[in-house]
Formats: sequence, C-alpha cells, structure tokens
Amino acid sequence: MMKLAESQIQDLYAFTRKHYVEHYDLQTELVDHLANDIETMWLDQPKLSFEDARDKAFKKFGIFGFMEAIEERQKAMNKRYRYYFWNELKQWFRVPQILATLSLFCVFYLAFSSSYVSVFSVAFYVLIFLWCAFKSIQLNRQFRKRKEVSNKKWLLEEMIFKQAGGISFLFLSQLYNVFNISEEFTTNSYAVFGLTLVFTALTIFNYISFQLIPDKAEELLNETYPEFSL
Amino acid sequence: MSNSKLYKGSLNTIILKLLNENDKMYGYEITQKVKELTKGELKITEGALYPALHKLEAQGLLDVEVAKVDNRLRKYYKLTENGTKETANKLEELAEYIKTMQTLVNPKLA
Repeated sequence: MMKLAESQIQDLYAFTRKHYVEHYDLQTELVDHLANDIETMWLDQPKLSFEDARDKAFKKFGIFGFMEAIEERQKAMNKRYRYYFWNELKQWFRVPQILATLSLFCVFYLAFSSSYVSVFSVAFYVLIFLWCAFKSIQLNRQFRKRKEVSNKKWLLEEMIFKQAGGISFLFLSQLYNVFNISEEFTTNSYAVFGLTLVFTALTIFNYISFQLIPDKAEELLNETYPEFSL
Repeated sequence: MSNSKLYKGSLNTIILKLLNENDKMYGYEITQKVKELTKGELKITEGALYPALHKLEAQGLLDVEVAKVDNRLRKYYKLTENGTKETANKLEELAEYIKTMQTLVNPKLA
C-alpha cells in the first residue's frame, strides 16, 4: 500500500491552515482523515497525483469545508472550559476555602456600608481592573512565547491564556456606575448587599480565570489533549 | 444519496453503536465501517461526522486517545461509562421509532 511521505503530511497541515483551521488539535485529526482517504484512493488509482487526491478528499467535506468541524470544536471546547471553571469555583464553597470567600464578603460589606462607600467602591473597582489588565497582558505574552517554542496553537491553550478575562472586562465595563455612588447608598441595605455580592463574585471569578486556571494549564492541556506531550 | 436526510437524526446513534462494538475507532474508520456494513447504501459525510464526534465528546459520552501511526498522529474515540449507558437509551429510542414508522407505513406488518 502506498503511504504518504512526511513532507506530504506537512503539506496537509499547511492545507488545513489554509482552510482556516488554526488549531493544532483539529488540524491533526483532519490531516489523518485526509491522509487515510488519499491512501485509500491510491489503492484503486495509483497514478492519481497527491494534489488531486487531496482536493478530492477535501471536497467530500461539502461546500462549507472544515467550517462546521471548526465551529463544533469551538463549542465543545467552550463547554470544557466552563467545566474546568465550575470545578474551580466549587472549591470556594468548600471548607476551608469558604472562610476566604466569607472574609472577602465581609471586607466588601464593611467597606460598602461605611460612609466612605464612594471611595471604596472606586478604589476596589480600579484595583480589580488594573490587576486584570496586568494579568491579561502577562498571559498574552506567555502565550506568544509558548507558541514560539512549540510552533503549535491549541484551542484550549488559547482560551486559557488569551480569552481568560474577556467576560470579566465586559462585566467591568458595565459596572461604571460605581463612579456615581454617593453616601446615601448605605441607607439601602439591599444595594449594599448586592454590590458586595457583585464584588465578591468579580474577585473570585477573575482570580480563577487569570490565576488559578493558567497555573494549571499544563495539567488541563494534558488531560484534554492526549497528544499534548507526545 | 437522496435519502440522507432520513439518516441525519440517527447519526449519533450510529456512532455510539459502532463504538460499542469496537473498543476504539478513528474518524475515517467510522465512515468506512458504515459504508462497508450498509454496502455503500449509507455514506456518513465527513462534514457531519466530525462535528458529531466533537459534540459527543463535549457531552462526556466519548473519550479520546491519540497514537502515532505511520508518520502521523491518530485520534481514537471510545465510549465513556456514560456513553455506554446512553448507547442503550439511544438504541431503544431508535427501535421505538422504527416500530412506529412501521405501523404507519405498513399497518399489516405491525
């Protein structure tokens, strides 16, 4: 049986990249598929050129090419990321970590029910924002370095390092009202409670997505991609 | 194939059933197996297969394994414990569906 040469495998990788498959995990699966199909075609038509066989194999994916596979892969990975996030979040409601969660809540509550609420809310907001911005730049840099070393981009890796705080920033941008809080705010205990809840959640969410999950990146990537350390 | 729409709803069940019988399989192998079993009557299209596999993986029904074969990496799928349970459910649903269709199409047989 005629087998594909190493250079042809590399050509298939380039072919998937050309067709908008950016991530190595999906590229690998599609390369193997195309390669199998080409080798099967060669059984009946040994004279068929590599390029023609490759294009024939690609046509079988339909008019949308690899698009559907890319989309579904993205959705599946989002789900996996949410699962990892949820796992981390649950930890904060277990003993002993729940003590940290409660302390955080108490600190915010004391600050927001004091007469300095306007100062505290802005200070905390700016602090969280700056920390997120700093982490985001740092993680982006790490991601670029990782890519330079391995020359491969993994979907989950990109989510961990690049999209980590996307939702946080969106959330923060909606919270600009903290700049308008006045002293009267403290008379409404629901509002104080609500703001405390929002800031506690914001702190924990950001800490998970910018610190805890990136710290565990190797472990999570190995678990997700058996080929990661191959 | 003109009647491929009729099979579309059963793609997941077909994949699960095949994996239930074969410990682990890779994408291309699944398309070939279906072609072989149905003598070419049913061809799973590549454009539908991989999205379905990734979805089942995300649902926790499939697990993956990767091995180096020849000069490339091959991704194998196999059923998780939940996947095995779900296969039984899906097959039952499908049998029920076939029975219903039969009653509708051919009342004498049912």
